[in-house]
Formats: sequence, C-alpha cells, structure tokens
Amino acid sequence: MIRYAVPSGIIVFCLVAFWFSTQFDRVPPILLRGMQPADFPQMVLLLIMALSVLVMIFDQPIEHEPVAPNVWTSMGLFVVFALVAQVDLFLGLGVFAVALAWAWGERRLWGLGLVSLVSPLLIFLLFDQVFKIRFPRGLLTNLWYG
Amino acid sequence: MDALFLGLTALLEPNLLILLFAATLGGVIIGALPGLNATTGAALLLPFTITMDPIPAIAILTTIYCAATFAGAITAILINTPGTSASATTCLDGFPLAQRGEAGRALGMATVSSTIGGIISVVCLMLAAPLMARMAYNFAPPEYFALTVFGISMLATIGDGTPLKNIIAGALGVLLATVGKDLLTTVERFTFGFNELSEGIGFVPVMIGIFGISELLVQAERLNVERKQVVMKAIKLPSREDYRRVWKTILRSSGIGTFIGILPAEGATVASMIGYNEARRWSKKPQEFGKGSVEGIAGSEAANNSATGGAMVPTLALGIPGSPTAAVILAGLMVHGLQPGPTMFTEQAEFAYAIFWAMLLVNVMFIFVGLFGAKLFARVTFVPVQILWPIVFTFSIVGAYALDQSMLDVFIALASGVIGYFMRRFGYSVVPLAIGLILGGMLEKRLGQSLIMLDDQWWLMFTRPLTLLFFVLTILALFGPLLWGRLKRRDPMVSMGE
Repeated sequence: MIRYAVPSGIIVFCLVAFWFSTQFDRVPPILLRGMQPADFPQMVLLLIMALSVLVMIFDQPIEHEPVAPNVWTSMGLFVVFALVAQVDLFLGLGVFAVALAWAWGERRLWGLGLVSLVSPLLIFLLFDQVFKIRFPRGLLTNLWYG
Repeated sequence: MDALFLGLTALLEPNLLILLFAATLGGVIIGALPGLNATTGAALLLPFTITMDPIPAIAILTTIYCAATFAGAITAILINTPGTSASATTCLDGFPLAQRGEAGRALGMATVSSTIGGIISVVCLMLAAPLMARMAYNFAPPEYFALTVFGISMLATIGDGTPLKNIIAGALGVLLATVGKDLLTTVERFTFGFNELSEGIGFVPVMIGIFGISELLVQAERLNVERKQVVMKAIKLPSREDYRRVWKTILRSSGIGTFIGILPAEGATVASMIGYNEARRWSKKPQEFGKGSVEGIAGSEAANNSATGGAMVPTLALGIPGSPTAAVILAGLMVHGLQPGPTMFTEQAEFAYAIFWAMLLVNVMFIFVGLFGAKLFARVTFVPVQILWPIVFTFSIVGAYALDQSMLDVFIALASGVIGYFMRRFGYSVVPLAIGLILGGMLEKRLGQSLIMLDDQWWLMFTRPLTLLFFVLTILALFGPLLWGRLKRRDPMVSMGE
C-alpha cells in the first residue's frame, strides 16, 4: 500500500503546486528575458511527478513498523510548543523540554530542571548577550527586556 | 603564494586558535553523542557563527566537520556504535580489538590514520582547489548550468534511499528553492502572502529541521537501546610493527578518500567503505579482517577523514558540495555573503587559504584530543537521550530563529523536521533535499542566463564541448550504476566470484 500511497501523495502535492504556479504573474513577452517565472518550477514539478510514477512501478515495497507511540507524542509536543510559543518563545521551549524529557522517561528532578530551566536560560543569555539577538517579546522575555 | 601566507597569518590569532581548539573538542563531542554527526553538528552550530567574521565562522564549521568525522571512530571502537555512518566499517575491526583488551591500540591506529589521511587530503585540497578553480574560471552560464545538473545527478547515489527516491528528494529541494522572488523577473512565487517568504526559504531553518529535529523523532524510536562500553585501562599506542604493516594502507586509503571526496555529493561514508574493502583486498592477512585487524581500522579511518578535505575541493572551487556536511558549510558561506566558485581564489584567496590552514591545524589537534581524551569522550556517548535531545531541540529552535529573527523560520524548522522524519521513514534521504535547496537557486539562475545568452535556443548548449561532457557525465551518473549492475549479473565470472 505504502508503495503507491507515498508517490501518490507526492503527485497530489505536485498537482496542487502546479495549479498554484499557473497563478503566478506573467511577464509581457516584450520585457521577457529567458523564462517565464512559472516555467522552472513547472519543469521541476513535472520531473517529480514522472519520477514518482517510476517509483510506483519499480520500487521494492519496504515493510514498515508502525510509527512508535513516542514519535507521535513528540510530534504532539511540537504542536504544544507552537501554541505556547505564541505566549512566549522560551516558555514554549521550557514546557516542551520538560514534557519531552518526562515522556521519554526522565523522572529525576535535576534532569527535568536542567532541560527546562537551566539550558533555555543559558541559551537565551548566550544569544542575547554574546550574539545580540533580540527575541520576540512575551511573558518571560518582557521580564528581561522591561 | 602571498595568499597562502596571508591565510596562515589570519589564522594565527591567539583568540582564533583557542576557538579552533574549542571547536575541535566540540566536534569530537558532537561526533560521540548519540544521533549527532558532523552534518547535524554543523547545521546546529551554523547560527552561532552568523555574528562572526567569515574566516572564524567557516573555520569553525570545517573544524566541526573534521573533528566529528574523526570522533565517530571513538564510539565505533569502544561501544561498537559508530558515532557517524562514516565509521561503520571501523566497528568491524575496532570493537573486536577493544574486546581483546587492545582498545588503546585500536584508538591509536584510528587517530594516526585519521590524522595522516586528513593532512594528505588538505594538501591535495591546497593544490587541487585553485587548479580546479582556474579551469572553471572561463566557464560561461551553460557550462555552470551543466555542471550544477551533474552535481545534482550525483545525488542519486548518496544517502539511504534508492537513486529514484534520492533524485525526487533533490528535486523537492530545488522546488523549495523556487519559493520567493524570481531572480530574473522579481515575480513572487509560492509566497502565499507572507512577506518573509519573498526572499525565499532560508537554508538554515530547513537544515536544522531535516538534520536536527527529524533526528529527535528518530531517537524517539530508539529509547530502549542499551550501550555497553569496553574497558580501556590505558592508552597503548600502536607499535612500530603496526605502523610498518599499515603505512601502505594509510596512503592508499588517503588517496581513495580524497578522490571520493572530490566527487560531487559523495562523502566520507562511501570513502570508508571503499577504503576498507581495498585494504582487505591488498592485505597479506585478509583473514584477520572483521576479527580485529589494524589494517582494517587504518583503511577505514584514513579514507573517511581524507574525504573531508576532498569534499571541500568542489565546494570551494565550484560551489558544488562534495558531501552533506560540505553542503551545510556551503550554506554558511552564502549566509556570510561569500560566493564559492572560481572567483574565490582570486578575490578572496586569503579567506580560502585560511580555511585550508584551519583544516590542516585541526588534523594535528586530533593527535592530542584522540590519544589523550578518547576515554573521556567515550563517556559522552552515555549522556541520557532524554536529557540530550530536549537541549538539542532548544538549540535548534533558537538557532532557526536567530538568523533572520523570524518566528516563521521556527515553524519552517519544525515542519521540515516532521517532513524529514517521514522522508527518512519511507526511504527518501534528506541529504539530497538539502543539497537541492542550496543548488536550486543556482541552477535556475544559470539556466535563465544560458537561455538569454543563447537567445532561447537551448539546444545550442549541446554544441558546447564542456557542457556536452557534463551532460554525458550526468547520464553516466544516473544510469551507470544500473547498467553496471546488469552487466555484472550477465558476467558469469563475476557472478561466480560473488
């Protein structure tokens, strides 16, 4: 099933992208030098679709174990991070780190504290003080930026 | 000649030397950490270099490349787990030697072979890169276009996927490179109203995602893997007899590794496999291979480390990455506004030679780090993954944000991580995606320039000898392995040998 599902998914993606590429502005022929903006992406999309058909025909199917629960949990935590990061990037990182460490079996308090508090704080200070990177304002970063 | 010494002078700043030593230690630790390798390490550390001057920034990345490639041998020998895929063949003889209580001898041999291999390849790099650049100096856009197509065709043979899947992954990378303003017409493509996408999708967040975050998901599948370390009582260096036995192997593997590294997109993993096989083929005691042969370790390690220098030849001279990590370094060069290619050796020669010297220096530093720190670095492997990977994730996200200070880049890194995980799961290597993304812009630009130059008569490209040569090489790269496989199956002598 996977033998057809993945290439089919790629072809559907390419068809959608191809449709989007037909919506690009066109340069009037009198001003055009070389290719229209859509030409190159369309060539690449056609190549990908043709190769995906070849994969369907020639590829040897591979047996896959189901995706491990830990992987789904980790991906779920990506979503949690993305949501909490809207409030504060480093709050999101701290919450993600402690939740991931817990989900992967870490129960020691120092370990949880290290990944959720100490490391984000040190990384923040490194980038803020040494590399002069300005992070987005949020619940926690406002405490630093004032 | 002046540039050679200016490059050395630029590198001999005390602060920079300390930084390079720290980068060597960092690279060795990265190579020894579970799941991290030279490519991931360079991708994660790339954001750290953005505020630096180009020489220290790229010197750090190349140091990480060399040091992490070397460090794979430490874990390969002591715990039978290659820190990087390039050290997989080192396990075959390194671990049996360590089990016999000769871990120090195995590590010593790996260190010396890596150092010699690395130094030979950097010397070749110093000689070959300017020559290659001089040859390419008169290339017109059609030649560059054909060369870039050849570089992309080499993606067919790298990574874990099949050639077809690798080319699809590479083409997806090229497609990603079309996001943003078209270089020739300034028309926006696939931006969906996001102003931040006008300049295109950044290399750094995508690389952090596909190499770093996708590896986090891969590690989530392997939480229960146990690692056992062989006891290493003291460092016992290889004997004079050992060196007498392996010097030819080291030289041969260094040559093989350098040559494989120079081929676009081929890297240390392929080099180590060929180096190991050739060591066995030429050995007087092939029966010892797989049971603890020092020649096996020397063949594998000299080849994989010499591939690092070789890989930098096309990267700097032509702007075509010679390996996955070289692709990250190429991205680093572009982020710093440097244009790799023939002009680098005329307009930025001091910079280019400083990078060569840095690579030479790091190969000397291995001797000390490898011989005296191996026992300590082997312990790094036992850092619990549930502590390591949340920290790596924090680094990844902050690094993805830092370059353009954009939250969109953070989400691009996350999405790239998930896509990268599923690509790897379904046999599509992520390395071609990264290289396609880097070369895609160049490919389109050179095709556009070629069409303008040839007055839209694209078929005239085939009348230019060099362009034709690159296209023939492309066809050989794509279909050669297939044809060779068929021919081998038909040859009864080869079949019997197999």
